[in-house]
Amino acid sequence: MTDLLRRLLRTPQGAIGSALLVLLALLCLLGPELAPRDPEAIDFLGRFRPPGAQNWLGADQLGRDVLSRLMTGARSTIPLALLATLLGTLAGAVIGTLSAYLGGRWDEAIMRNVDAVMAIPGLLLALLLVSSLGKGSLNATLAIAIAFTPGMARVTRSVALNVRAQDYVKAALARGERASFIVLREMLPNVVGPVVVETTIRVAFAVMLFATLSFLGLGAQPPAPEWGLMVAEARRFVHQAPWIILAPALAIGVTAIAFNLLGDGLRDALNPRDER
Amino acid sequence: MTAAPPASPVLAIENYSLDYTLRHGTARVLDGVNLAIGKGEVVGLVGESGSGKSSLAWAIMRHLPRNAVEASGRLSLGGLDLRGLDAKGLQAVRGKRIGMVFQDPSTALNPTLRLGEQVIEVLMRHRGLGRAEARDAAEAALAEVELRNPTALMRRYPHEASGGEKQRVVIATAFATAPELILFDEPTTALDVITGARILELFARLRERTGVAALYISHDLGLVSRVADRVSVLRQGRIVEEGAPEAVFLDPRHDYTRRLVAAVPRPHRRLVDDAAGGDTVLAANGLSVRYGRRRLFRPPPPPATKAVSLEVRAGEILGVVGESGSGKSSLARGLTGLAEFDGGIHATGRRLDHARQMDKAYRRAVQIVFQHPDSSLNPRMRIGDILARPLKLYGGALSDIPALLEQVRLPADYARKYPHQLSGGEKQRVAIARAFAARPSLVICDEITAALDVSVQAQVVELLLALRRQHGTAYLFITHDLNLIRQIAHRIAVMQQGELVDLRDAAAIDAPDAHPYTRALIAASPAPVG
Repeated sequence: MTDLLRRLLRTPQGAIGSALLVLLALLCLLGPELAPRDPEAIDFLGRFRPPGAQNWLGADQLGRDVLSRLMTGARSTIPLALLATLLGTLAGAVIGTLSAYLGGRWDEAIMRNVDAVMAIPGLLLALLLVSSLGKGSLNATLAIAIAFTPGMARVTRSVALNVRAQDYVKAALARGERASFIVLREMLPNVVGPVVVETTIRVAFAVMLFATLSFLGLGAQPPAPEWGLMVAEARRFVHQAPWIILAPALAIGVTAIAFNLLGDGLRDALNPRDER
Repeated sequence: MTAAPPASPVLAIENYSLDYTLRHGTARVLDGVNLAIGKGEVVGLVGESGSGKSSLAWAIMRHLPRNAVEASGRLSLGGLDLRGLDAKGLQAVRGKRIGMVFQDPSTALNPTLRLGEQVIEVLMRHRGLGRAEARDAAEAALAEVELRNPTALMRRYPHEASGGEKQRVVIATAFATAPELILFDEPTTALDVITGARILELFARLRERTGVAALYISHDLGLVSRVADRVSVLRQGRIVEEGAPEAVFLDPRHDYTRRLVAAVPRPHRRLVDDAAGGDTVLAANGLSVRYGRRRLFRPPPPPATKAVSLEVRAGEILGVVGESGSGKSSLARGLTGLAEFDGGIHATGRRLDHARQMDKAYRRAVQIVFQHPDSSLNPRMRIGDILARPLKLYGGALSDIPALLEQVRLPADYARKYPHQLSGGEKQRVAIARAFAARPSLVICDEITAALDVSVQAQVVELLLALRRQHGTAYLFITHDLNLIRQIAHRIAVMQQGELVDLRDAAAIDAPDAHPYTRALIAASPAPVG
């Protein structure tokens, strides 16, 4: 594990991605405490105040400090995106591995269903689910997790098909092992590598999906300082006070890039052929 | 044939050393290698895996990995310093003055180009021919390597040709530019025994006709001693012995060579001298193995073996030989329930008509060891956990694990290690220990020594024989190495295209009434010199 970390940090993508993520993690943990002002304090005299000494990143249409809202909002944006991805990954990994293990008609049946779900664009599916489950952050998390599951199932299945052909799985079959043991103990640990990489890349999508849902008014509800919601609210004032929209948009972008870089770094670090 | 190095060599390697930079310092792969190949001479380079023989070939081709550091030495091709060449100079040498024939012809050819295109391109580039001329020359080159109907073959893609045909195309390409030197890197290892033997015959005729100098790299000392004029034995990057093949083979001076020679299987040196016991452990009656279930809209695949009937007696070693695709591994899969079968299996006092009927008693009694130790052990499990599985399934105490490891001559603390920390031979011993943890009455060995070096193969075979003496276990020993199986088997079954064509006592395998295919196999695997 420490070896993996060392190899990860040696690649430039891995190092930058990890550094950015450490910063974001700190923001999630300490953001609200470190925020210079109350993120929901309304100040009518300071409406649309440009960035300066009083409000470092400016103030929004209600005079709320953009920096404080950004720092507080990290906690309601990043962990939920991560949670949604992890849920989707776990479900997808188990379905994909099981499908590869069962093979034949079961594989066919599972994968055709997955294909059917995949035919619906992720955002559309999430919208559909949220509108039937009801608005709110937790429902949005669930919707994103479900939207991610078929993709993860496909990725995992393709890796698991290779693992299925390995002799240690055949040895377990010849030994008369139970299916649950073969799927969970023999196969799953060996598909983890590529799945982890895929997961980190998908976190970036999740952050943006979340922002999109909130932007459309289906995720977090005002006055929560969620980043996507901040972009949505600031949209009307983009000519008047571009800093209100730029700050959360940049934050979303940086988060997405950080997870993407980590994914790239992990892909290289997990590749055993690159041993030197 | 002379044992002395030539005076004006085609290729001269002087005091050549090569290092690889790794994470934890550097590793020396070649250490002060001296080698000279004269005009029309074939020098055999023998070494086990990791000895640096392929690194030497790539050093000559000037295609080394980025972390390679050439510590010292000279490489010269007829007076031309290879190390001093720039990219343009290299282009003029590679493929034109030095040809190369690789181990696996299916990866050496581009699968998206027709075979003819691949030869024509080489000829246009290196002999400066026009397209039409190159086409004629390519046809001539393919005829030269004794391919039937070269015109038709040139229109085919690599996947439409057999392994032997592809290797002939690779050889034709290497010879077509009339190079001074050709490097052969295990050119017959990936081929069937009979196809490989024909390639060797072709090589002998070609070198007689063209007088090309060649470096023939192989792990097989017996094989090299038949094709080479001189032999160099490489061990851990150093040449430990060189000389005429007869001298190296019959009177090896270095300890390592002696061990290597002793490990080469010789069909007439029997390692098993007792007779097999009486009771039948397992009998297959008209067993035909098939793969894949019937799918919607698709006809069921044809069976991989035709009806095969054979029986294994207690403590017997039954050899199964045949080329790849002859159905010998399918037989193993059928017997272990990894593939569907028709027909019946008699074992543990029952008759099984279907893989689903295999119960715990049958699975315990019939164990299998696979060919590739790298893939038969789960890389994410410790050796101790791997050995614990059969003990948990079939009964046995976890405290037996040290004894199991000791039985296959591995130290008990290996239980804490992961498979990647072990060598190939050690991994195969773990796989054997796992099979024996079930206290089986029959172990199916599916090409278990094919991926191992000769000396490791000898140790593994010796271990299997010791375990058999101890437990009275029977073996179904599947192999393509006829010389090896003649040393240990009581009876030998010969398979061809899914059919059991011959089944006879090992002593009578070369009898005149043997099946023609059996005789062809024997002819293709001659006993080594000495």
